Amino acid sequence: MKARAFPLGLGRLAVQFGALFALAMLAMGLVVFLVAQQRIARRIDDALEYHSSKYLAPDHGQPASSAVIAARIAAWQAQKALSERTYILLGRDGRVLAGRLRIPLPPPGFSQVRYVSRAHVVHRGRALATRLPDGSLFVVVQHSEASESLEAILPGVVLAIFASALLAGLAATMLFARQTALRLAETQAAADAIARGDLSRRIATERLDGMFAAQAASLNRMLDRMEDMVNAQRQFSSALAHDLRTPLTRLRGLLSSAQPTGAAVNDGLIERAERECASVIAIFDALLRLAELETGRHPTAVAPLDLGTLVADVAETMEPVLADHGGALRLGPVDAAVVRADAGLVNQLLVNLLENVATHTPPGTTATLRVERAREGAVVVLADDGPGLASEDRSRVMRPFERGPESAGRRGSGLGLSIAQAIVRFHGGTLALADNAPGLEVRMTFPA
Amino acid sequence: MHCLVVEDDPVIAAHVLDGLRGAGRSADHAATGRAALDCLARGRYDAVVLDRMLPDLGGLAVLAAMRGAGEARPPVLVLSALGSLADRIEGLEAGGDDYLAKPFAMEELLARLNAITRRRAAPGDATGLAVGRLTLDPSRHAASFDGKQALLNRKLFSLLAHMMRHADRVVTRDMLLEHVWGYAFAPTTNIVESNVSRLRTRLVELGVDPIETQRGHGYVLRSGACA
Repeated sequence: MKARAFPLGLGRLAVQFGALFALAMLAMGLVVFLVAQQRIARRIDDALEYHSSKYLAPDHGQPASSAVIAARIAAWQAQKALSERTYILLGRDGRVLAGRLRIPLPPPGFSQVRYVSRAHVVHRGRALATRLPDGSLFVVVQHSEASESLEAILPGVVLAIFASALLAGLAATMLFARQTALRLAETQAAADAIARGDLSRRIATERLDGMFAAQAASLNRMLDRMEDMVNAQRQFSSALAHDLRTPLTRLRGLLSSAQPTGAAVNDGLIERAERECASVIAIFDALLRLAELETGRHPTAVAPLDLGTLVADVAETMEPVLADHGGALRLGPVDAAVVRADAGLVNQLLVNLLENVATHTPPGTTATLRVERAREGAVVVLADDGPGLASEDRSRVMRPFERGPESAGRRGSGLGLSIAQAIVRFHGGTLALADNAPGLEVRMTFPA
Repeated sequence: MHCLVVEDDPVIAAHVLDGLRGAGRSADHAATGRAALDCLARGRYDAVVLDRMLPDLGGLAVLAAMRGAGEARPPVLVLSALGSLADRIEGLEAGGDDYLAKPFAMEELLARLNAITRRRAAPGDATGLAVGRLTLDPSRHAASFDGKQALLNRKLFSLLAHMMRHADRVVTRDMLLEHVWGYAFAPTTNIVESNVSRLRTRLVELGVDPIETQRGHGYVLRSGACA
């Protein structure tokens, strides 16, 4: 199986984290903006209060009258340089007593005002209006330029903050993902190797830290335990093989030494006993082989293999066998298809299946072998026109020791199809039984 | 032919020794790996039948020790109760000349012992192989006898070539499966019988029938029948 490159495809996760980070930064920007605006407003108000009090300051011990204030305004106008502030005095009827600014009558205290400058530009300002004892209104207006410019740059600032936060968030998540992936890659590589049957593989922990190291260590402990168990089982089957074969060898020796002295009546009996010896060992071999294949312990010579050549070869070998059983074998269209496979195992697979056809179909059955190329790889198809299998039997016969309904009394371990399936799986392929109407079709797909 | 049988199980050892003597060969017996190395140091043997599982040194350790002796060492048939393909490969890689899984038929053991003792002198490939008037043409996959020619498929051609190379010697079904087909599994049908019988039919058409069936276990291609 091809190992995927780094899953920088934390994918959605990276985008989600990036967006979250950007939103947080945006909220922070808004808070900063609001605080700054507050501060500026506060300072404007302070300045208004200060300048207002300057104009309202008592004149020779007497509270300043409208006339005094009007005079002070006139004096300011006379010597005024550029200023962001302006002063007006309005009579109780709203008439302007002093000052040049034209604004609607503001309420006493602080308020927002709009006014038109001499350049006919509408400005916004902050006003502090103070009611004088004689009923007239003294107003200081400050053009809130700082606040205005702050609001003018706001959209740009917000956009910039959002974009850079999004980028920073994405980058941070990617970096985090990559660092995580680098650490997980060790685990992944080890797990893949173990899945391929290398139980001695462990996760290298030197370069890991924190939870990754802890996780790797506990996985390694699990693998130690698993390897112990598998080894124990392997030794058990080795010992069993040995302990079963040795008495069978003795038995066979004893039987054949009995032969010369035995009467003729014993002759057939001894031969049959020898055959039974052989079939006990054959079943045992098949079981061991199945176990080897399924646990990935089969010594394998996987190399590029031309299925077409191999299928033609097996067809040559098995054609006389099927003919001797009263059937026939034809070689159908064979596409050239090179797959990575163990030739010995694929030979066994096809021979097993053809032997099934030879022994489990009535005389007159014709089997056809062909090789097709499909999107998912190469497909070897073995079809026969025999009685076939009912659909419920098709899944049953793939299990160890299960046989088709017609096979009672026939020889064989009942492991043939299980081994065939184990061989196909060993190559990462699939084996499927289908109705050939009439007959059975076996499709073996090998990944390209 | 003088053989050394290294086998710790007395019943199996007796059976093998009887079989060898019955086939006209002399044989010594060693029950342990060390005893085997002693025997090999003292005497000359034409072949060794070596059990893989011995009480002291394992069979593979004995093989390794023998390999130290270089070219002069006799060919070894490794006997083993471990029948898996991995064990077979291990046995051959350790320097065994052939490998036989228990339980085995005596005829099988004799045939294989014959094959490995003669293998070193046997000719290499099938180029211009001829036994008497029966000849093979590898470029056309054809067999000729007395000017008549039969085209064979690749399997039948290899089968005939193998039998001609081992003319007048017994080749068993298992040996043919291993050497002609390269199958490391036991088929449940008579693959060898069916192919040999097909081959015989083709040869009979040419007017020659040199392949004899040995009761139970194998075949012999008689050079006398091709003369």
